[in-house]
Amino acid sequence: MEKLLEIQNLNVQFDIFGAHVQAVRGVDLELNIGETLAIVGESGSGKSVTSKAIMGLNPMPPGKVTGGKILYNGQDLAHASDKQMQKIRGKEISMIFQDPMTALNPTMKIGKQIMEGLIKHQNLNKHDARARAIELLSLVGIPNPDKRVEEYPHQFSGGMRQRVVIAIALACNPKILIADEPTTALDVTIQAQILDLMRDIQKKTGTAIILITHDLGVVANLANRVAVMYGGKIVETGTLDEIFYHSKHPYTWGLLSSMPRLHAKTDKLLAIPGTPPDLSDPPKGCPFAPRCPYAMKVCQDHMPDYTKVTDTQKTACWLLDSRAPKVEPPKTVVVGGN
Amino acid sequence: MGKYILKRIFYMLLTFYVVITLTFLSMKLLPGTPFQNAQKLTPTQLNTLKHYYGLDQPVIVQYGKYIWNFIHGDLGTSFQFGNTPVTSLLFQQFPVSLDLGIEAMIIGTIIGILLGIVAGLHHGKTTDWSAMILATFGFSIPSFIFAGILQYCLGVLVQIFPVAGWGGPMTHVLPVTSLAVGVLAEVTIFMRTEMVEVLNQDYIVTAQAKGLTRSAVVFKHAVRNALIPVVTILGPMTAAIITGSVVIEGIFGIPGIGKQFVSSIITNDYPMIMGTTELYSGLFILTILIVDILYGVIDPRIRISGGHS
Repeated sequence: MEKLLEIQNLNVQFDIFGAHVQAVRGVDLELNIGETLAIVGESGSGKSVTSKAIMGLNPMPPGKVTGGKILYNGQDLAHASDKQMQKIRGKEISMIFQDPMTALNPTMKIGKQIMEGLIKHQNLNKHDARARAIELLSLVGIPNPDKRVEEYPHQFSGGMRQRVVIAIALACNPKILIADEPTTALDVTIQAQILDLMRDIQKKTGTAIILITHDLGVVANLANRVAVMYGGKIVETGTLDEIFYHSKHPYTWGLLSSMPRLHAKTDKLLAIPGTPPDLSDPPKGCPFAPRCPYAMKVCQDHMPDYTKVTDTQKTACWLLDSRAPKVEPPKTVVVGGN
Repeated sequence: MGKYILKRIFYMLLTFYVVITLTFLSMKLLPGTPFQNAQKLTPTQLNTLKHYYGLDQPVIVQYGKYIWNFIHGDLGTSFQFGNTPVTSLLFQQFPVSLDLGIEAMIIGTIIGILLGIVAGLHHGKTTDWSAMILATFGFSIPSFIFAGILQYCLGVLVQIFPVAGWGGPMTHVLPVTSLAVGVLAEVTIFMRTEMVEVLNQDYIVTAQAKGLTRSAVVFKHAVRNALIPVVTILGPMTAAIITGSVVIEGIFGIPGIGKQFVSSIITNDYPMIMGTTELYSGLFILTILIVDILYGVIDPRIRISGGHS
């Protein structure tokens, strides 16, 4: 498999009110051509900041990249100028946002919002750009595209708006599509439609997708590979099956256990007790140690290195050290269906 | 849209009628008579005068007559100015006030919007703070203080502009500037707040994510959305500036209608009070309508809901 994007030891920090919040602390990730990589984790784990760093869309200041590289086609996006990034954004890498109700400009026609990128990156004239916009609208499944291209966002429902957002992102055939919680703000039935659409589009265009989500159901639906983030670090990566069926990290177990199940014996919803670490004063050791039921003394003081479980799976946990006691994943980690 | 405007015009006429009625009735509650040295007149003389002007009739009859004449375009004659028709007095003096007000509005609004955009873009930085401090000064200091300062500095110390009068372009500079400062300050503060708000919206990030340049993001996406609330305050402000330039007209000796309004109340010049009030309220109502239509042009959401109502 050929690497499309490589993130090396990325560090992103936000300087707010005298505190330095280290949102991303040494993330290594790679994305292969045509694959779907899911980044999962709870709120504040740094998954959104990582994805925005790729696009250079973190507000700077207060944000800044304090270390590491984001390599795309030999270019380091983490340290690229705004002008260089303008050539990447929308053309090479584009983004789908969480809330379609606010992601579109309310005073601009849908067609014009799609055309902007086309005119900028592909030097199309207005007429051709409009034709392409109509084509894109029908690609994302909007009926009567030649009429709706003249309409404003408030004339579209939430699901339809998300389709428009996707059309905008796809306008210039990007190599990478970053989807930041693309279904979180949608109704469940609409979620399924949008996921189907994304899968369909990937099949047609071969775009690689980085999917940011906290919904493991969405991950199971769409991803080939999964990276689990916690406290600004990636604690485990692997293929979809490895993460769902053979995960080694207690945090991944926690995430899987807290998925609600249809045929569960209890009606209690499992949760991971405790709260995520304060990243303005990040812990020295494993960030999950304070909440981890298997935490040992070493976990508090030293961040574990990655252990290669298989060729594709890497886990950062002291439990995988040869000196650690053998621990079996809890019974609650049962993935029902796919 | 057509139906919406028709409905609006009906409400405008209704408002206008209520204003006329209330003004007429409250005007009749004013003490005194329109006649100079009324106390020196004998009761018979006074009654003759009152009879001549129809002021001895019951208020309701006077009111009915006024409305009847008004519908026929007759606003009566001024008591102060030797029976000159009110309409011709208004037509003679109002254009001067209109001119002064509109010049001040245009200059204040354009500079205010630009300054607001710049301040909003540099939110929290020195540019922002300096613009805000200036705007706060402009907002809190009354226009007549500025008028005095400008007259002294640019009319007396350095004699660039005439101290008073109304004629060539040079005479416009000082009064228009004094009036425009307040407009400029208010528009700046408003525009800046809106810019800061709009620049934090998700659709700005969407625009950036398309790879648009900073200026395209600001001018195509941010400014138009930030303008919507600013347009709302422009309507009442225009009306207030055009009608509220009384003091500035006084200071610079400008033959506008503001001075006329005050003097007509002091002298109980009934037809003139009615005429100026009608002009002011008509102007006010009309500006608000224009702003609402303009609002629909800028904001498509308003256009649609208006069209269906």
